[in-house]
Amino acid sequence: MPSLAQVLVDGVFTGASYALMAAGLALILGVVKVINLSHGAFFTLGAYVAYLLETRGVENPVAAVSMAAGIAFAFGVFLGKSFINPVRSHPFSVAVGSLGFAILFEQAAQILWGAHPLSVDLGPPWATFNGVLLRRWGVISFLVSLALTGALSLFLSRPAGLPLKLIAEDEEIAGAVGMDVEKIRYLTFGAASAVAAVAGALLAPAVAITPTMGRVPLILSLIVVIASGMEKVWTLFFLAMGLGLLSNVSAYLLAPSWSYLLLLFVVCLLLVLRPSGLAAAEPGRD
Amino acid sequence: MKKTGASPSRKIPGALAAVAGVLLLLPLAGLDAFLLNVLTVGFLMAVYTGSWDIVGGVAGQVSLGHALFFGAATYGCALLTSLAGWPFPLAAAAALLLAAAAGAAAGALSAPLKGPFVALLTLALGEAAHEYFLGQTFFSPEGAYSWGGEGGIPVLLSGPPFSPWTLYYAALAFLVLSLWLMLRITRSEEGLFWTALSGSELSARASGVDIPKHKRRAFVVGSLFAGAAGIGFAACVGRATADDFSLELSFQAATFAAIGGRGTIVGPVLAALVFHSLLQGTGIPSEVRVLFYALVLLLTLRFFPGGVAGTLRERARSRRMVLQGKGRTR
Amino acid sequence: MNGLLLAEGIVKSFGATRVLRGITMEIGRGEVVGLFGPNGSGKTTLANIVSGLLQPDRGRILFEGKDITRMTMDARFRAGISRTFQIPDPYPSLTVVESVRVALLGGQAARRARGEERGGLEEELDSLLVRTGLFAQRFWPAAKLSQGCLRRLEFARAISCRPRMILLDEVFSALSARDEAELVGLMRTLHREEEISFLVISHNPLILEELCDRVVAIEDGRVFWEGKPGDLAKYVPAANHGHESEIHGEG
Repeated sequence: MPSLAQVLVDGVFTGASYALMAAGLALILGVVKVINLSHGAFFTLGAYVAYLLETRGVENPVAAVSMAAGIAFAFGVFLGKSFINPVRSHPFSVAVGSLGFAILFEQAAQILWGAHPLSVDLGPPWATFNGVLLRRWGVISFLVSLALTGALSLFLSRPAGLPLKLIAEDEEIAGAVGMDVEKIRYLTFGAASAVAAVAGALLAPAVAITPTMGRVPLILSLIVVIASGMEKVWTLFFLAMGLGLLSNVSAYLLAPSWSYLLLLFVVCLLLVLRPSGLAAAEPGRD
Repeated sequence: MKKTGASPSRKIPGALAAVAGVLLLLPLAGLDAFLLNVLTVGFLMAVYTGSWDIVGGVAGQVSLGHALFFGAATYGCALLTSLAGWPFPLAAAAALLLAAAAGAAAGALSAPLKGPFVALLTLALGEAAHEYFLGQTFFSPEGAYSWGGEGGIPVLLSGPPFSPWTLYYAALAFLVLSLWLMLRITRSEEGLFWTALSGSELSARASGVDIPKHKRRAFVVGSLFAGAAGIGFAACVGRATADDFSLELSFQAATFAAIGGRGTIVGPVLAALVFHSLLQGTGIPSEVRVLFYALVLLLTLRFFPGGVAGTLRERARSRRMVLQGKGRTR
Repeated sequence: MNGLLLAEGIVKSFGATRVLRGITMEIGRGEVVGLFGPNGSGKTTLANIVSGLLQPDRGRILFEGKDITRMTMDARFRAGISRTFQIPDPYPSLTVVESVRVALLGGQAARRARGEERGGLEEELDSLLVRTGLFAQRFWPAAKLSQGCLRRLEFARAISCRPRMILLDEVFSALSARDEAELVGLMRTLHREEEISFLVISHNPLILEELCDRVVAIEDGRVFWEGKPGDLAKYVPAANHGHESEIHGEG
C-alpha cells in the first residue's frame, strides 16, 4: 500500500498527462467543432502500443511515445477526414459515430488482447525522498506533458497557430482568405488524437491496461474542456491536473471505481449547473 | 385522431403484418428452444430500441444512457423479488415505476441542455449507474450468497418457470402491443410536439410549445417502454446483471435506430429484431457482435446521415411532393 | 396612454459589448410601430427581448399592465405576443399543415382557459391556411417551401394564437413584389379586423413609411429618433445609410 504522499506525487504526474489529453480534446472542439467521444480510444491505443513494444523487448519510452503518436495520427487523420468532416453538421452522427468508433476499438482490443488487465513494467525508481519514489514514467510523462502543453500554448500565440484560432472563431473568414479549412480540420483531429495516444503511452506503466481504460480520461477531459475552453491552455492544464489528482486520491482513499464515479458526478453537476455557460463550448450548427 | 400524424411513417406497411404472421407461425414450424429464446429476447430488444427512438428519434434527445432505464427495471425486479421477497407482479409494477422515475430525473436534468450535451449527460448518468452497480454487492436474505456485479442477482418468479413457448408468445404480444402504443403516441398531439421540438427548438418555442415539459414527457414515456422491456428481460433470463446498465446496451439502441431510420419507430424496431436475432442466433461472441454493430453504424452514418429508412423516406416524400405539386399553377 | 406593451429601460450586453443602453418604447392598442435602424443597431436584440427569446440585463416589460419580463417566449406566445423570424427555421420533417397545427395546439390550452375557444381545430387550421395563401401547399414538407411561402408560414404561425401583438422581424425583405404585396395586404387586414398591434422591424424606410403609425429609430443601442413615418426622411443620415445597406445587402 503506497503512502498518501506517494499517491499525491503520482497524481501530479498522471494529471499532467491527462492535461495533454484534454488539450487535444479542446483543440478538436475549437477547430473541428465537435465533441469527440473517441478521444479515449486513442489514449487506450497509446497504452497498448507501449505494452506491445515491451512484450517485444523494447522498453524505451521515446520509442513507445513516437510509435503511439504515429499510429494514432494515421488513424486520427483517417477518422477525421473520412468520417467526422463529412458528418460534422449532424450532431447525432458525430456523437453516436465517435462513440461507435470508441466502442469499435474497445471491442477490437478485447478480441485481440483480452479483457483482463495488462501491465507495463514500472521500472526502477530514480530517486527517493522520505520514502516517496520518483519513477521514470512519472518524471518523463510530467516533463513531456509540460513541454507539449507549453509548445501548444506557444503555437497558438504565434502566427503559425493563427489558422487554428481563425477557424475556431470564424470559419467563413478562414475559408474566404484561402485556407483549406477541411484539411486543417482533419490534420488537427489527427494531431489531437496523436497527443491522446502519447498520454496513453506515457501513463502505460502507471495504470491497468484494459480495453475500456480510456473512458476515465475521456470523461476527465470532457469536464476540463466544458469548464475551460480552447484558448486558455494553462487553465486547462491546471484544471486537468487538479482532476487527475482528485481521481487518484479518491481511488486511494475509497476504491478505484470511485474515481470514475466521482468524475461522472462532476460532469453531470457541471452540465446541470451551467447549462447557459456552455454556449461558448457549443459546437456550431449549420 | 385523423391527420394529427406527427410520425413520419404514416401508414404501417402491409409487410409488417406478414412479419407478424411469420413470427406467429415459427414456433409451430418446429423452431428449437435455443432459437425460440433468441427471438424472445429479440422481441424485448426491439421494444427497448423503439423506446430509445421515442426519446432519441422522435423527440431528438440523443440519449447515450438509455440502458439506465432498462437496468433500473431489471434491478428493481431482482432486488424486490430476491431481497425483499415481493411477489413478481408487484415487483414488476414497482420496477416500472422505478424506470419511469429514472426517466423523469434524466429528463428533468437534460431538459435545459441542447444537442451534444444531452448525449453527454445521459452518457454520464448511464455510466455512473453501471459503474456503481458493477461494484455493488448485495447479500441474500440468508446471507449465504453475495449477489450483484457481473454475476448478477436472481429474479424470482412467483410460480413455476414459464415454458419457452409461453415466453415467446408473451414477448411477441408485448412487442405488437408496444409497437402499436408507441406509434399511437408518436402520432398524437404529444408526438407532434416532440417532432416539432426535435426539428427546430426555436420555431417550437415561437409556437408556444413548452419545450422542457415535452422533453421530460418524452423521457418518461421512453423510459416506461424501456422499463417494460427490462421487466420482460428479467423474467425471461431470470437474472439482472450490471451489464443491463452498460454503455454497450445504450449504444446498441442508438445503433439500431440509426440503421433503421431515426424517428420512424418501426424502422429501429425491425432493425433491432433482425440484427439481434441474426447475430445472436448464429452464436457469435458478444464482443464480435458489438464490433460488428459499431462497424455497420459507422458505415450507415457515413453514407446515410439521416438513417437508411429516413433517407429513403425523404426521397419518397420529394417524389410525392412533385406528384401533388403537378396541378399547382405558378 | 392606453398602452398595450411597454418596454422600459432595457439594457443588454453580450460579454463586454453593450448592445442596448437603456431603451424605452411603448406600443398602443391597435398601433403599428416601426422599429428602424442600421445593421448592428440592436433592433433584433430588442425584438428578441420583447418576444422573450432573450432576457434583458436591466429594465422591464409590461404587457397589458402585467410584468412579463421573466416570461419565456412560449408563454408569451400563449399570452398573446407572437413573432416571425428574419431567417425562418422550418421543422424539417413536418408538412405545412402539421407545422401550423403545432402552433394552434401550442396556444389552444391558454385560449381555452381564457374561454376564447370557438369552433373546431380543423376548421381553424383550414381557415388559417386559406388566409395565408398556403392551402394549396398544405401537404408540402415545410422545409421545401420557397422563401415567400416560408414567410407566409411564419405569418400563419404568428396569427394562430390570436395575438394582441405581432412582432415582424424583416418579414418583407428579399421577397418578390407579389409576395410582398400579399403579405402587406394580409397584415393590413389583420390590423383592421382584429385590431392587432404590430412592431415592424426593418431597415427599409419605404416599407415603414407605408405601414406604420409611428417609427422609432434606434442606433448604438439608444432611441435616436421617434416620430411620424412621413418624417423619417428628416432622420437623414441613418435613413440613407440604412436604405443603402438594404440594397447592397440584397446583392
